[in-house]
Amino acid sequence: MNKAIGRTVVAGAGLSGIRSALDLAETGYKVLLIDTSDHIGGLLCQLDHQFPTSTCGYCRMLPMFDRDRSSQHCLRKGLVHENIDILLSTELISVEGEPGDLTVTLKQTPSLIDPDLCTGCGECETVCPVFVNDAFNEGLTKRKAIYLPSPQSFANAYTIDYAACTRCGECEKICPTGAVKFIEQDRETFKILVVDDEKIVRDSMKEWLKEEGFSVSTADSGQTALDLMGSQSFNMMLTDIKMPGMDGVALLTKAKQINEDLCVIMMTAYAEVDSAVGAMKQGALDYLTKPFDPDVLISMVVKIYHEFEIAEARVEKVDALILSGGTQFFRPELGKNSYGYGVLPGVITGLEFERLISGTGPGLDPGSGRLLHPQTGKPVRKMAWIQCVGSRDVHSGASFCSSVCCMISIKEAILAKEKFGRDLETTIFYMDMRTIGKTFDGYRLTAQEEKGVRFVRARIHSLSQDSQHADKGLHARYVDLGGIVHEEDFDLVVLATGQRPNQQMADLAAKNSIGTNAWGFIETQPFSMTRTSRAGILSGGSLSGLKDISESVTCSSAAALGACKVMHAAGKRRRPESDGEIPVDLARETPRILTVLCRCGSDFSKKLDVEVLEAGLARIPEIESLEIMDNLCTEEGWTTLIEMIEKKMPNRLVLGSCLSCSHKQKIKQLETSTGLASNLIETMDMVSVLKRYPGSHIREATQGIERELKILISKSRFKNPVPMERVASNQAALVIGGGIAGITSALSIADCGYHVDLIEKGESIGGNLLWMDKTVDGLDIQAYLDECVKRLESHEQITIHKQTRVASTAQRPGEFATVLQHEDKGHQTLLHGVTILATGGNQAPLEPAVGDSQYNVFTQKEFEMAIQDQTIHPEQLNSVVMIQCSGTRDERRNYCSRICCIRALKNALFLKEKNSDTQVYILYRDMMSYGFFEDYYTRAKTLGVIFFQYDLENKPVTEFTDGHCLVKTHDLLLDMPVEIEADCVIHATGILPDLPEALADQYGAALDGFHFFKEADSKFRPVDSMNYRVFSCGLSLKPCTIEEAVSSAEAAAIRAVRVLAHERLVSGKTVATTRTATCSLCEMCVDTCPYGARFVDSLEEKIVIDPAACQGCGVCAAVCPSGSAVLEGLGSQQMLDAIDMALS
Amino acid sequence: MEPFEPVIIAFVCNWCTYTAADLAGTSRLSYPTNIRLIRVMCTGMVDPQYVIKAFLEGADGVLISGCHPGDCHYINGNYKARRRIKLLKEILPRFGIEKDRLRLTWIGASDGIEFAEIMTQINDQIIEMGPSQTRLNKAI
Repeated sequence: MNKAIGRTVVAGAGLSGIRSALDLAETGYKVLLIDTSDHIGGLLCQLDHQFPTSTCGYCRMLPMFDRDRSSQHCLRKGLVHENIDILLSTELISVEGEPGDLTVTLKQTPSLIDPDLCTGCGECETVCPVFVNDAFNEGLTKRKAIYLPSPQSFANAYTIDYAACTRCGECEKICPTGAVKFIEQDRETFKILVVDDEKIVRDSMKEWLKEEGFSVSTADSGQTALDLMGSQSFNMMLTDIKMPGMDGVALLTKAKQINEDLCVIMMTAYAEVDSAVGAMKQGALDYLTKPFDPDVLISMVVKIYHEFEIAEARVEKVDALILSGGTQFFRPELGKNSYGYGVLPGVITGLEFERLISGTGPGLDPGSGRLLHPQTGKPVRKMAWIQCVGSRDVHSGASFCSSVCCMISIKEAILAKEKFGRDLETTIFYMDMRTIGKTFDGYRLTAQEEKGVRFVRARIHSLSQDSQHADKGLHARYVDLGGIVHEEDFDLVVLATGQRPNQQMADLAAKNSIGTNAWGFIETQPFSMTRTSRAGILSGGSLSGLKDISESVTCSSAAALGACKVMHAAGKRRRPESDGEIPVDLARETPRILTVLCRCGSDFSKKLDVEVLEAGLARIPEIESLEIMDNLCTEEGWTTLIEMIEKKMPNRLVLGSCLSCSHKQKIKQLETSTGLASNLIETMDMVSVLKRYPGSHIREATQGIERELKILISKSRFKNPVPMERVASNQAALVIGGGIAGITSALSIADCGYHVDLIEKGESIGGNLLWMDKTVDGLDIQAYLDECVKRLESHEQITIHKQTRVASTAQRPGEFATVLQHEDKGHQTLLHGVTILATGGNQAPLEPAVGDSQYNVFTQKEFEMAIQDQTIHPEQLNSVVMIQCSGTRDERRNYCSRICCIRALKNALFLKEKNSDTQVYILYRDMMSYGFFEDYYTRAKTLGVIFFQYDLENKPVTEFTDGHCLVKTHDLLLDMPVEIEADCVIHATGILPDLPEALADQYGAALDGFHFFKEADSKFRPVDSMNYRVFSCGLSLKPCTIEEAVSSAEAAAIRAVRVLAHERLVSGKTVATTRTATCSLCEMCVDTCPYGARFVDSLEEKIVIDPAACQGCGVCAAVCPSGSAVLEGLGSQQMLDAIDMALS
Repeated sequence: MEPFEPVIIAFVCNWCTYTAADLAGTSRLSYPTNIRLIRVMCTGMVDPQYVIKAFLEGADGVLISGCHPGDCHYINGNYKARRRIKLLKEILPRFGIEKDRLRLTWIGASDGIEFAEIMTQINDQIIEMGPSQTRLNKAI
């Protein structure tokens, strides 16, 4: 039976979308990756640095094995993968059907520039007369209406901003390759109805829109408009809201009944923005605030015209859908308190600041290395960050915490210090510093103590500026904890804007009955962070709300797992590994290199002297010939190239062309059609080389190209033409740990069709969930656990080993051999391909000095268990004190355990529910009620739970006197000592991981400073170890809630499945090997390999390599004292020859 | 006498500095064309013999440029390069090569402007130092 290949649509090609797409593509499924914007990479393309490392590791998301199916360069440049089709400027309109058989409708705005023909030469940009704000730089700079979507974009193809373009046609005239083609637009058929009771508004709008070529009718009232609609059809209606008789909103409702597809824009005065926003919920597309600029009107209408008239709909049949549209930033200018954003110079958002200081941004002063004020151009000396702008703020409709802004602001302050020197003063004004990750607290301390960032716990109400003394900057007034008013001036104030739901995804959800939560984010099912209310539709990344990079990446991998399960359940197959034919062994053939240059780019003919070039290359004996051709990018050109290869029969090819012809997919095509292996084809981007030679320096340009070609020829002629290595790979998994993370990952892998052995050291499965009753959301944990355990025990692909530990393990390429030790039954050896370390963690015990059980002093776990055993009766408690950060977040265990504050809130709410008279006190340092948990914090405060903040210098002390506890603390707000008599004291002691170092070490994984599992990259590979076959999830990875544990377990599962899915793994074309004959077994290469790809085979006494683990960095070759470690594909012979050539 | 135009070999890593060089190109930033880029996977693979070879064959300066510390695609290749370059600088004078002719820099993927600036600066520095002695010896 020839089953279809599984295919998933991933809507949104930012960080999350790329993660989901790559996970599925690596597993062997097809992915259609779409994005509404004109470049992939999303928000991360705009950011250069990520917390807490202040670095970027975006490229670490790329595939590890079979690397050459994907592009191997910075992800900001773009992504190419054999199994991923990318559609940009494309919107998802609707989705119908069942999992395994979904029909999605997409709408793609066609580009007026043919990306296959555009060489990125940039001539069009120079002639374009239109300047607009550059959205990529957050409007801090100007760009033309024809522009490169992102500065590093790999495709290098220009794009046109339809809304700004005046269709003057200059770019079409100058384009040397004919890539720009203005389609004849018939704007007259687009009928617009303008409804306003003021004649002057109607007439001027009619005039403006007519000038743009649209047909315009007008109506002076709602009724006239409806009458007109009865007699003719319209495509768009622009209506005033406040009109005598029928108002705009009523007209909207009636008009939509007549014509459901009518695009409606509301026009309103500033004071009625709320009703306009309300109208958008009833189907209006957008609104304009009166008085408006004609340009704003025109660009809005043109944009809608393009989206609704020009855009092409396409229908795709797929199995699953992953939504990963991310979130949007809150716009301070629309809020009730704008902090003067958009009015006062120097008030900017966090993202604007990141653009300002980016390597591709406009804020750096190259001469002095100082930060320049974006408006005044003067050096900035004093900066402030204001936290919680549009978060934790009911007035802006956001009672939630945006979770990530605290860390982002710390990062920005550190960056400012690092880039512009310690003299730059930085202050962060915050409410609670939510450092909710395992390394985040340390990062804050570094900022405060080493970098000199000032943290002030205060809320600045507003900013002002003295117009007489603008040089004094922005004036801020705030009240400190002690109640003293301070006044301070700043040059630059950064607003840490909160997050909002992605509007486009929210609309999509509303129209396709996908559930959203109270704040408009996509709602997921209980205990899941990815399953939406519709089966087969998953939510990835921060779409379901408020995640940082590592959480987004984890959640997106989990979404990919969901899609994988759907495809497996629907009986879809994976794409066969294209290893049918073994390439001809060319080892004994002399290299014959065909060099082909394409001259389509206009620069070519102007700048190159072909005769000189030919003469230069003729001296190299391996050169078969140098061919110059035209328009390689066209089908004709491509056929010519194939014919040329077939005729000349070279065994190596060096190809110089523009980027569009030299990218991975094209080269792969060439391999299929000519049989010339892709690792024997070298490519050069001619355009970027030629761009280095401005003007008409023919001699220099020719020399430059000649040299670049020669370097490539060196790499080509000394390339060992051995086919790429493959390693047989075991297809079973071992999961260590029977907690919820272990259970979930085992079930997930088994659901994808692979065998799993799950080992648990204890007698029962369930881990920490066994002692828990309900979550803070009120979900029944025991019911959930029961269901999971039942499924686990009955799954035919799962073998459970209780009371079992790992005795030892050995690894060889493609396989582990683990010896298990059962408490009674003795030893057993398992062979498996991947390992998941889900050994969990425990609540830290009470410090002996604090605890005394006869006085009702508990940890949170003990308290909850005492409630369940009914040894404590909540109704009888008069006064309960909860002490947060007990023994944690200090010098001994300097990390935040993330979940204790939420657990405290849960218990406080529980106590208040049982007996509203019980006094509950929470003694805290920073309340870490991140994300939507903020609501429980607010609820607790409303119910009368009393919060006292303390600091490290004055930790709470408990004293015991005849049956009572007396808790003494120093409240920061009152600035005085407080004593509370308590029936019961509950300590939040934090989480201790339970991952033995010896166990991790055996599997090639490492532990971090707090004894949690150390991720390969805390941001971009959050569940992987450096060993590509070992993963971790749940509490052994980091402190997490149940949902987060499930999410990380699903992420670990898909990361494992993508390895398990292949019988054999293929190495990259640049891969390390060993010359055993000269190797002295010093093992320096083994020690230096960051991926653990090198092993000592003690039986055969040689170094063996897992070619799939090797990433081709070549460090081993550089350390080898005898030259026995060789980097195949970029070896020393190639390098030395390339140096010769570069110097020629 | 013709003005001295040095020959500089730059080993740049595939992930960061090469991207920055590309970016400098697409952003039309000019930088000296006598700097010859050789793309390597990682600065950690730059064997000292490549550097010495470049000098002995007539390079007036050698630049090795990779990702910022912590940014390395291969986790820590750039740290390995840093250690190696430090040692290499110690032994270069024995070959008659001033150690300042060898430079190690970190240029991130979005630092196109910085790339062009550093290239210009290195070129100026080598011009000031004059032709490499080994190059002169070779000429004789």
